[in-house]
Amino acid sequence: MIRLRALLEKELLDVARNRAVLLPVAIAAVVFLVLPFVIAIVIPAVTGESLGDDAGLARVSLLMGPHEDLSTTGRVQLFVFQQFLIVFLLMPVTGAMALAAHAIVGEKQARTLEPLLATPLTTLELLTAKVLGALIPTLALSAAGLVAYALIIAGSAEPGVIAAMLGPRTLILALAVGPTCALVSLQMAIVISSRVNDPRTAQQFGVLIVAPVTALVLAQISGSLWLSGRALGFLALGLFALWILLMFVSVALFEREAILTRWR
Amino acid sequence: MISARALSRRFGQRIAVDDVTLAVAQGEIVALLGPNGAGKTTTMRMLAGLIAPTSGTVTIDGVLLARATGSALRSRIGFLTEAPGLWDRLTVRENLRIYAGLYALAHPQRVVDSAIETFGLAPYASTRAAELSKGLRQKIALARAMLHVPSILLLDEPTSGLDPEVTRSVRGMLDERRQAGCAVLVSTHNLDEAERLADRVAVLQTRLLALDRPAALRQRLTTGRVIARVAGDGAAYLNTARAFDRAASIDGGAIVLSLPQGDRDTPAFVRALVAAGADVLEIRPEVPALEEVYLHLMADDARASAVQS
Repeated sequence: MIRLRALLEKELLDVARNRAVLLPVAIAAVVFLVLPFVIAIVIPAVTGESLGDDAGLARVSLLMGPHEDLSTTGRVQLFVFQQFLIVFLLMPVTGAMALAAHAIVGEKQARTLEPLLATPLTTLELLTAKVLGALIPTLALSAAGLVAYALIIAGSAEPGVIAAMLGPRTLILALAVGPTCALVSLQMAIVISSRVNDPRTAQQFGVLIVAPVTALVLAQISGSLWLSGRALGFLALGLFALWILLMFVSVALFEREAILTRWR
Repeated sequence: MISARALSRRFGQRIAVDDVTLAVAQGEIVALLGPNGAGKTTTMRMLAGLIAPTSGTVTIDGVLLARATGSALRSRIGFLTEAPGLWDRLTVRENLRIYAGLYALAHPQRVVDSAIETFGLAPYASTRAAELSKGLRQKIALARAMLHVPSILLLDEPTSGLDPEVTRSVRGMLDERRQAGCAVLVSTHNLDEAERLADRVAVLQTRLLALDRPAALRQRLTTGRVIARVAGDGAAYLNTARAFDRAASIDGGAIVLSLPQGDRDTPAFVRALVAAGADVLEIRPEVPALEEVYLHLMADDARASAVQS
């Protein structure tokens, strides 16, 4: 545990000294903070047309349940904010992908991997520190964004929307689905990073990992896929189990005693 | 103690290291000599458990180095890699502190402070590694390798890129580690360094060509000739020398001759010189430098390879 903590400290220090690497995540956070308010608050205010007047939106927002305590406009606002919440939660996946993809092959190219492997650090400790080192900074940014998101909803949406937002479904999304989805994706990126010889190759594969996640988000936004709180709970459990499995696969595929001399 | 038995490593069809057996005892420094591509770094990496041998074994303090024992055994080894491998964005102190954590040292701060002082790194402690010169980076890597006071040191070119003053202090440190009972294996191109520092020298050219004390290696090429230096020009006494060896010659003002029965002939030769009026300054056997021994071994190996192919 001491060794894992030491390497994790190095990872976090490295990101702190190279903040530009998190700039795209920060920009995305701002965009996803602004965009739903433009859609749900600003445009209706400018055009003078209430969201509740849109029959299509009113119908699709019923996917979340009747929410009889809310007006139709409030329910549509809730629907819009819920959709963008998913985008927020998946930000760590896309944001940390570059960090994770670079994690092992980057050390190898900088010739810092060899002294690292000469220490008593185990492969499991090394890979765990690398995943957490990529996840924690983006998760922290995402969490800060979520707090700001909730505060803005409380201040600008219809009465009752924020209370409806902070239900069990949102908590499962924020505390379970988001982090486990990120863990799985980053673990896959680490596997790739330990098998290739070029960070660019690792990043190209990272795009493939992000693709299914993006598809899920698009399905949510379009309203063609709505997962209930219970379904999300099972999804989080499944993702966590998959992460554990992937961790063992990563250790098996790492090939500690060959990685330094494998350049093809 | 670290020992390798019949250690071999292939990369595809290429044999990098072939059947190397050597041991470094506690309190001993062994220098690993060899040209580029001779397999020095591969041997070092196998000894450190960084790459698996194709065949053969490594034991550390009697324990076989394997996947199951690797983590525990690596904590006994300090390994200086070919490249310093510092994290560029971290400061010198941070680089060392992280490694203190990776070795799970009980008082990391104290250990790091001590290493910074010992290696004279205090002025650079808060400087990022990327901003340092090659020599300083090498020094930090060396401090890192010794941070946990390992009982075995594997050092790949430890004085490469260091100025003479620092090189001397590194030699002093290695000598101290030897006194403390550490087993040290140093790979180097510097024959002078090997001769000064090492108790034994291993000459590697894919396989081990020689492993012995520097003096014993030199003895292999001993010619049986004697060099006599006298005051003034030695040529004046060449005839005296030729009474003992018709082929006696002058080399740089000194008389060079063969005295096959040195114990009997050397005192007689000195007496003859004195009788001829010479002031004898020095009489010594002609001993080849380690460099000559090394080049001779390499040439022998090249000839043997040519014959085989």
